[in-house]
Amino acid sequence: MIKKLGGLTFLALTAIVLFDSCKKDPLNNLTNDESRIYISNFDTTAVFSNYKTFSITDSAEVIQDNHSVGKELHSFDSTVISAVAQVMQQRGYRLVDKGSSPDLAVNVSKVYSTSTGVFSYDDYWDYYGDYYDPYYWGYPGYGYYSPYAVGVYSIQTGGLEIDLLDLKNAVAHDNKIQFVWTGLARGENVLSTGNAATGVNALFSQSAYLKTN
Amino acid sequence: MRPILKYGAVTAIILMICSQTRAQNALQMSIGYNVNIPSGDFRNLVTNPAYKGFTAGLAYPLNDRFSLGLSFGYNDYYQKYPRQVYDDGKGSNISAVVSNSIQQIPLQITANYTLLNKGFIRPYIGGGAGVNFISFDQYLGEFDNPESSTRLSLTGEAGFFIPLSRYSSTALKIGASYNYVPYHENGIANLDTWGIHAGIRFPLH
Repeated sequence: MIKKLGGLTFLALTAIVLFDSCKKDPLNNLTNDESRIYISNFDTTAVFSNYKTFSITDSAEVIQDNHSVGKELHSFDSTVISAVAQVMQQRGYRLVDKGSSPDLAVNVSKVYSTSTGVFSYDDYWDYYGDYYDPYYWGYPGYGYYSPYAVGVYSIQTGGLEIDLLDLKNAVAHDNKIQFVWTGLARGENVLSTGNAATGVNALFSQSAYLKTN
Repeated sequence: MRPILKYGAVTAIILMICSQTRAQNALQMSIGYNVNIPSGDFRNLVTNPAYKGFTAGLAYPLNDRFSLGLSFGYNDYYQKYPRQVYDDGKGSNISAVVSNSIQQIPLQITANYTLLNKGFIRPYIGGGAGVNFISFDQYLGEFDNPESSTRLSLTGEAGFFIPLSRYSSTALKIGASYNYVPYHENGIANLDTWGIHAGIRFPLH
């Protein structure tokens, strides 16, 4: 009886594994557009109609794993900067030079984060070993030891960040520049030039409060 | 999926043929396919029925009407919602395509009572109590927010057995159930479902 129950338990677990492998994978059912998310945050104490002018950065900051590593101005960056400037003007803000004491400063950043890990070939060597033909090396019938190597992987993900900084009240805020709005876009191909304007428009369209009147 | 159904059907047929016709007190096994439909608060996450579900169980007949047993199951729920802006009311807005993927694996002690133990159709009522292993992945776009939990699981069901012959202990099992699963996470009070199932019950020797 115990043997029978053990067998049934094994069958049950096998069934669960089989059915679980049949479950719908949400990631396989997403287009690139659907994979992207747009997050905006604003300072709930800010009165956006009090700001009248803005200035925008001339290039995009590159932030790698929480460190600034310089500035870039590729086609993606210039497309984003143009799109942001256009939307801000549509919302009633006047674009001025940064030397003209703008009320708001606009920063554009590309934010990258890297995750790394280590995996061992031992886990799947038996599978690959069958495909390495010892006959090719003149040793038919020989087997293989597992390789010594371990693999190191590194995955980098990136996002677009747009920040609106309150220059107008910097002095009143104890000489600190406050973020009054932040937009973040992440997902597949979010840093490609073709998606730059779409990302900017998505972030601003969900921030209807961001206007002069 | 198709190979599983094919091999499952072949296995069921073999077991049916091999089972002896008179085995009143033998341990019984039942396997079945089920479709579950979310109910109550669960519908805030998923409204689509789970078409990939099964239940399997063992039952020991205490007499010719009443049996006690153990069962487990598997159900896979999934739904993708069109892009929408979600406002948390605290200054944060997220525009995302939300996908909810939920798997439930109930493990229950069950009891079944056959209302009529003669005739072509033999109605029964049953119930189960146990735990439900729940895996809930909510994706915002491609970004997963996984949660796993174990909750109480209660089931009430009714249906009927159709013996393959007058003296056969092997019978088709068809019925409907209500599955109560309190959840109380993320504003969702329960993951209850209605279910319909069809399968086979046969004695083990």
